[in-house]
Amino acid sequence: MNPTRTSAMDRAGRWLVLGLLVAYTFYNVGPIVWLVLSSLKSRMDLFTMPPKIFFTPDLTGYQSVFGVGVAKDSAAAIGVFDSLINSIVVSVSGTALAVFFGTLAGYVCSRFNFIGKGDFMFFVLSTRMLPPVAVLVFYHLMFARLGLADTRFGLVLVSIFANVGLATWIMKGFFDGVPKEVEQIAVVNGYTRMYAFLRLVLPMVKGGIAATAGFCFIFAWNEFAFSSILTTTQAKTLPVKISAAAGSTGIEWTQICAAGVVLIVPVLIFFYLIRRHLLMGMTFGVLGRR
Amino acid sequence: MTAISHERRQAELRKRSSGRLMIFGFLSPTLAILLFMVAYPIFSLVYYSFFNFSALRQGAMKPMGLKNYKFLLSDPELWERFVFTGKFVFICVALQMLIGIFVGYQLHKNFRGRDLVFTLLMMPMMLSPIVVGFLWRYMLNSEWGIVNFLLHSVGLPKVDWLGQTNAALWAAAAADTWMWTPFIVLLATAAFRGIPETIHEAAEVDGASPAYKFFRITLPMSAPVLFIALILRLIDSFKQYDLFVALTGGGPGSSTETVSFSVAKTAFSYFYTGEASALAVILLVIIIGLSMILVRHLQKMSERY
Amino acid sequence: MAEIALRNLTIDFSGFKAVDDVSLTVKNGEFVVYLGPSGCGKTTTLRCIAGLVKATSGDVLFDGQRVNELSASQRNIAMVFQFVSLYPHLRIRENIVFPLKARGVAASEIRRKLDWVTDVFKLGDELDRYPSALPPGARQKVALARAVIRDPAVLLLDEPLSAIDEQFREEMRWELGHLQRQLGVTTIYVTHDQREAMSLADRIVLMNDGRIVQVSEPDRIFFDPVDVFAGQFIGSPSMNLIDLAPADGGLRLGDSGVTLTASDDGIPGWALSSSRPLKLGVRPLNVHLVDEGEPGVPLAVDDVFSVGRERFFSFRIGDAVCQGVDKRRAPGAPGRVHFAPEGLLFFDAATGRRVRAGDAA
Repeated sequence: MNPTRTSAMDRAGRWLVLGLLVAYTFYNVGPIVWLVLSSLKSRMDLFTMPPKIFFTPDLTGYQSVFGVGVAKDSAAAIGVFDSLINSIVVSVSGTALAVFFGTLAGYVCSRFNFIGKGDFMFFVLSTRMLPPVAVLVFYHLMFARLGLADTRFGLVLVSIFANVGLATWIMKGFFDGVPKEVEQIAVVNGYTRMYAFLRLVLPMVKGGIAATAGFCFIFAWNEFAFSSILTTTQAKTLPVKISAAAGSTGIEWTQICAAGVVLIVPVLIFFYLIRRHLLMGMTFGVLGRR
Repeated sequence: MTAISHERRQAELRKRSSGRLMIFGFLSPTLAILLFMVAYPIFSLVYYSFFNFSALRQGAMKPMGLKNYKFLLSDPELWERFVFTGKFVFICVALQMLIGIFVGYQLHKNFRGRDLVFTLLMMPMMLSPIVVGFLWRYMLNSEWGIVNFLLHSVGLPKVDWLGQTNAALWAAAAADTWMWTPFIVLLATAAFRGIPETIHEAAEVDGASPAYKFFRITLPMSAPVLFIALILRLIDSFKQYDLFVALTGGGPGSSTETVSFSVAKTAFSYFYTGEASALAVILLVIIIGLSMILVRHLQKMSERY
Repeated sequence: MAEIALRNLTIDFSGFKAVDDVSLTVKNGEFVVYLGPSGCGKTTTLRCIAGLVKATSGDVLFDGQRVNELSASQRNIAMVFQFVSLYPHLRIRENIVFPLKARGVAASEIRRKLDWVTDVFKLGDELDRYPSALPPGARQKVALARAVIRDPAVLLLDEPLSAIDEQFREEMRWELGHLQRQLGVTTIYVTHDQREAMSLADRIVLMNDGRIVQVSEPDRIFFDPVDVFAGQFIGSPSMNLIDLAPADGGLRLGDSGVTLTASDDGIPGWALSSSRPLKLGVRPLNVHLVDEGEPGVPLAVDDVFSVGRERFFSFRIGDAVCQGVDKRRAPGAPGRVHFAPEGLLFFDAATGRRVRAGDAA
C-alpha cells in the first residue's frame, strides 16, 4: 500500500466529513437561533429582507404571549397564564404518576418471571406506538360521557396512559443494571423483598427515576393531539393555546416564536437536571442490558 | 431435621406468595390504566366501526356491517393518504438514519466540549412538534422566509415550499428530520460507544480499512440498537399528526394529509364517527402488525449474541 | 516474517514515560518474551510495535524499514489480545478469515488457508458457531488462528493466556510454543508470568519502569541477574536479599552477628575487599538448613513448612524474612544454615546493580 496516496485520500475524506458536519450543525442549530432571534424582533424587523441579524430587541412578542405590558389589551394577545397553569398541573402530576406506576411495573418486569411476561412487555411498549388520533376517536365520546372532557383530570389520565409504557421500559432498564444479589442478601438477612425494594434498590436507581421523569415530562409538556381534541376552553394546555392563537387571526410570528421559546425553557431546565442519565433513558434501557 | 425442612418450606411458601403479591400489586395500576385507556377504547372502536354513527347525534346508531371498511378501502382518496404517508415515512426514516448514523459515528469518540455539543444537538427534540411545525412554516414562507432567502442568495430559485404537494412533502420531511435526527444520533453514539475498544483494535490489526471496519464491524455490532431506533422512528413518523397541523394544515388542498390527519378530520371535523372508527382500526392493525414484525425481528437479532 | 528493531523508543503519556529509551532487535523467527510487573511498559511497547500507540520519539523498524507512520492495518502484523477480541456477530469461520477478507485475498486462497488453520488448531467442529458459544480457552485459540492465517511479519501476543483457566492454560502454552517453532514466525509475547516466559522464550526482555532491565536467555536471567530487581522478580520463592557489613575476616549478615568468611563459606576475596557496601542475593534453593556438624553458620530458624515433598525453612535477618531448603535428616533436630558458594550474588547496596569479580574497586 502506498502511504502517501492513502494519506492524501484520508485528508480529502477528512475535509469532506468536516464539511458535512458543519452543514449538519447549521441545519441543526440554525432554526433554533432563528427562533430565538425572531422572538425578539419587532413586527417591522421580522419581514425585512434581507433578514436583520442585528436589531434592537423588542419584547412585544413575549408581552403578547403573557398578555402584559403594551399588548395587554391587544386582541391578538394569547394570555397564557391559565393554560400555563393547566400545562404545569397536567404534565407534573401526569409525569409523577406515570413514573410511579412505571417504576413499580418496571421493577417486577426486571426481577420476576410471570406468565405472559413477554406479552405484557410488548403490550406496554405497543401503547407507545399507538397513534393518538386512533384512540381519540373513542376518548372523545368516553370523556364526554364520563364528564372528563375539558378537565385537567382527564388530561392527567391521558398523560399517565401516554407515558406509563415508556416509564416501565426505561425503569426496567435501570433495574436490570442493579445486581440481583442486592435483594438476595437482604432476604437472606431476614428482610422482606418489599423492604429490599424500598430501602436498597430504589435509592440505587434514583438517577434513573430522574431521567425517566425527565423524558415523561418532555412528552407530557409538549403533547398536543390529545389536549387539542379533549379540551375546549378551560383545560387548554400551552401547545393547544398557541396553536389556536395562530389559527384565529393572521399568524403573529413574533408571538409564536416567543411562545416557542417560553415552551422550551422548562424542558431545558429538566434536561439540564437529567443530563447525566440522558443516554440511558433515551435508549429505553436497551443498552444497559449487556 | 423434619422441623427444619418444614420451617424452610414455610419460608419458601411465604417468599413465593410475597413474590406473587408483589407482582400483582406492582403491575396492577399500570395494567389497569392501560386496559382502561387502550384495550377498552380499541374494542369500542372495533364495535363502532360497524355502525353508521356520528358523535353529534349519539342516539342514532345504524348497523352497517362491513360497509364502512368497504367504503374506505375502495376510496381512492384514502389510498392517496397511505401513499403520501408512506412516502413521508420512507424519506424521514432514510434521511434520519443516514444522517444520524453518520453524525453519531463522528461524535462517538470522546472530545472536548462533548456535553455542550450534545446539548445543542438535542434542542430540536425538546420542542413541541406544534412549535416545530410553526417554526418551519415561518422559515419556509415563500416571500420572506429565511430558507428562500438563503437559496436566493446562493443563486438558487425560490421555492413555494408549502404551496406545492411535492415541495410540501419534502418540507415536512425536512422538519421531521430536523426534529428527530438528534434522537438517532444519540442512540447511534451510544451503540458505537458500546463496542469494546479491543474489537476496534483487533480489526485495525487485522488490516481492515476504516470503511471495511465500519461496514463489517461497527455497523453490524450496533445493529440491534440501530434497529430499535429505526422501529421507533418508523412508527412515530407513520403516525405523525401534530407537525402537519402546524406546518401545512394538510394542504395544499388535502395533499399533505397523513392517515392520522385523515382520521382526525373524519372524526372531529366531519363527525363521521363510525367511519373514523373503521379508519382508526385499519391504522391500528397496520401499526400493531408492523411493530410486531419488527419486534420479532429485533428479538431474533439480539438472540445471536 | 521480519526482523523487528526498536531504536531509542520513548512513549510519553502526557508526562508519564510509559516506555523510556528502549532499544532492541528481535531476530527473524525469534520468540521474544517481554516480562515485567504490571505498568512496566511491556504492553505499551507491544502496542507501539502494532501501531496502536504512537511513539513519542525513536523508531520502530520492520526489516530495516521505518514504520512509525504506518497505521496498524498497514503493518502486516497479527495480534492476540489479553481479553477476547473475537467479533461477536461473526461465526468462527468468518472471524478466522476476517484478516484475509479485509485485504481482499482471493476466495480460493482463503479456503485453502482456512482448511490449513482449521486443521492445525482442530477447529473443525466450531466453525459455524458464534464466539459466545465457546469457552474462553477455545475463543483464544480462534484468536490465534485468526492471527496466523495470513503469514504476518510478526505475531504479537498480549498476555494471551491470562484470561484462561489454569488447566487449559498449560495446554495452550505448550501448543503455542510448538506452533511458533513450526511456523517460524517472529513472535513477541508479553506476560507478567515468569513461568510462561521461561518456558516459551528464546530470549526474555525484562522490563521495569519503562526501561529494559535485562535481555538474555531464560536460564541466564535466572542464574545471572543484572540487578536486584531482576534477581527478585525472577524465581519463586523470591531471592533472599541480605545486607552485608564488613567484619573482621568476613562479611556480617545484617544485624545477626553471624559472619560469612572466605575460608569457611566461600566468600570471594574481591567481595571482602570491596570498597562499596554490598548486599547478598541468594536464592532459597542455595540456602540449606543442614544437620549440626556440617559446614554452615548458626542462625535461628523461624519456621519450617512443607510444600509437597520438600521442606522449607525461614529465618530472619533484621526485618528481612529469608527462605531456604531444609535438608536435615530429622525434622526437629538442631541445625546450621549453609549458603552454597556458587549461589552467592553480590549487589551494590546503593544502586542495586550486580557486582562481579572484575568490578570491585
